[in-house]
Amino acid sequence: MDIITLAEVAGNISVLGYGVAAIGPGIGMGILVGKALESTARQPEVAGRIQTLMFIGLALIELLGLLGFVAFVMTM
Amino acid sequence: MPLAEKNGIALFLPETYDIVWSLVILVVIAVCFYKYIMPKFQAVFDARAAKIEGRMEQAEKAQKDADEAKKKYEDQLSQARVEASKIRDDARAEASHIIADARSRAESDAAQITENAQRSIESQQKQALVSLKGEVGTLATALAGKILGSELSSSATQTQMLDKMIDEMDADSNK
Amino acid sequence: MVSQVSTQLVLAAKAGPELPSVDDFLPDPILFQGTPFAINRIILIRIVATIVLLLVMCITAKRAKLVPGRWQGLIETLLEFVRDNIVYQVMGEERGRRYVPMITTLFFTIFVFNLCGIIPGMNMAATATVTMPLVFALWTFVQYWIAACREKGFLQYLRGELMPPGVPLPIDIILGPINLLEALIIRPFSLTVRLFANMIAGHLLVATCLAFTQFYLIEASNWAVKPVGVLWLLGGFAFVCFEMFVAALQAYVFSILSTVYINQSYPEVE
Repeated sequence: MDIITLAEVAGNISVLGYGVAAIGPGIGMGILVGKALESTARQPEVAGRIQTLMFIGLALIELLGLLGFVAFVMTM
Repeated sequence: MPLAEKNGIALFLPETYDIVWSLVILVVIAVCFYKYIMPKFQAVFDARAAKIEGRMEQAEKAQKDADEAKKKYEDQLSQARVEASKIRDDARAEASHIIADARSRAESDAAQITENAQRSIESQQKQALVSLKGEVGTLATALAGKILGSELSSSATQTQMLDKMIDEMDADSNK
Repeated sequence: MVSQVSTQLVLAAKAGPELPSVDDFLPDPILFQGTPFAINRIILIRIVATIVLLLVMCITAKRAKLVPGRWQGLIETLLEFVRDNIVYQVMGEERGRRYVPMITTLFFTIFVFNLCGIIPGMNMAATATVTMPLVFALWTFVQYWIAACREKGFLQYLRGELMPPGVPLPIDIILGPINLLEALIIRPFSLTVRLFANMIAGHLLVATCLAFTQFYLIEASNWAVKPVGVLWLLGGFAFVCFEMFVAALQAYVFSILSTVYINQSYPEVE
């Protein structure tokens, strides 16, 4: 180990990539769940419908995060 | 940890045998679910629903039967009541009829009896009158004899009296 | 518990924990190598899971009574959940009746296959190769195209996808291809990737935790690092529980998205 690589970072840069890719979906999921809870509190009688829609949206957002994960796995 | 780039991408490239087995397994599972498991459970669900519905129907039918029986009974009761009142009315009418009948018969009887009595009284009266007429003659003669015998003193009076008597007798007999 | 990482046992020696890698998902065939019917570890797991699922379901169905026992009650709750909360909730009873067996099959199969990932001895979800989710997704794909052709007619459906009503022409030029791309590629691709990547991630998480547990708690000679091993073990517990949740959630999500995609092939009502 020479002086230039003193602070060596071992591993794969794609891990960082995944971390970055998870930020957006994380924010989106937070907004989604928060809004779903809000609407449920406002109209408890349609809670079932809201929950179904929430899960559909959750699945779509989850895919974004998983695309980052896939990109990470592909370079593994 | 080996950094085999080929492997990471290979994850997303399906192998032939993998596809074959996935298809086989999916088809087997799907056939089992479609042909046996779902119909079987559906039949159980349907049977259960039918049973619950059947019970409710049964209860409803029993209720209806009971209602019908009650209605029938009430009908019969009211009918019987009507009949009874009719019978009573009939009886009452008949009774009044009988009474009226009896009364009229009694009245006619009474009238007849009265008439008979009247008639017999009349005939007896007539008889009595006839016999009285005869007796009055003799009695008058006797009485006249007696009066004549005692009071022939004043001749004027005697003559007057005698005349008068004869007149009266004439009038009587002519009458 | 860490048999899936034992392939590297010889190579890695004692240098570090035997961390899981993508090799776990690409096991070598162990039977009928070289033929289209070759069987590797994951396929074996899949076959076993299939047999178990079908046996359990068939026996339950055969013994099904009007008054359910505890086990039958559980199965019936699941069946009614799929029917009422997934299919009927999204499609309505009229349309949904036709798709209840399909969605039920998908839900049960995916759920059981996912659960294989945390069953000791299997330790690998049966859906953890790209093919199985892909086949499920293709089934959904075929179903919603058939539904579209039947309900709207093929050309009518294409027209509706390319030119959504009420969209101005300039936007339509962009939106039309995207819509078509979504119906053709993105939907099955997203279904596949979601399920597959979830299973890979779950396996990697659990296997990493358990590999570190093995390394610190058993293989390490230094007593000072044993608490670290305990921590990793606790993490392993947490992730195994999380994987159970994910197994159910992914089955639910896959089923409900399939239903939604099929429902979008139908003309709008209400």
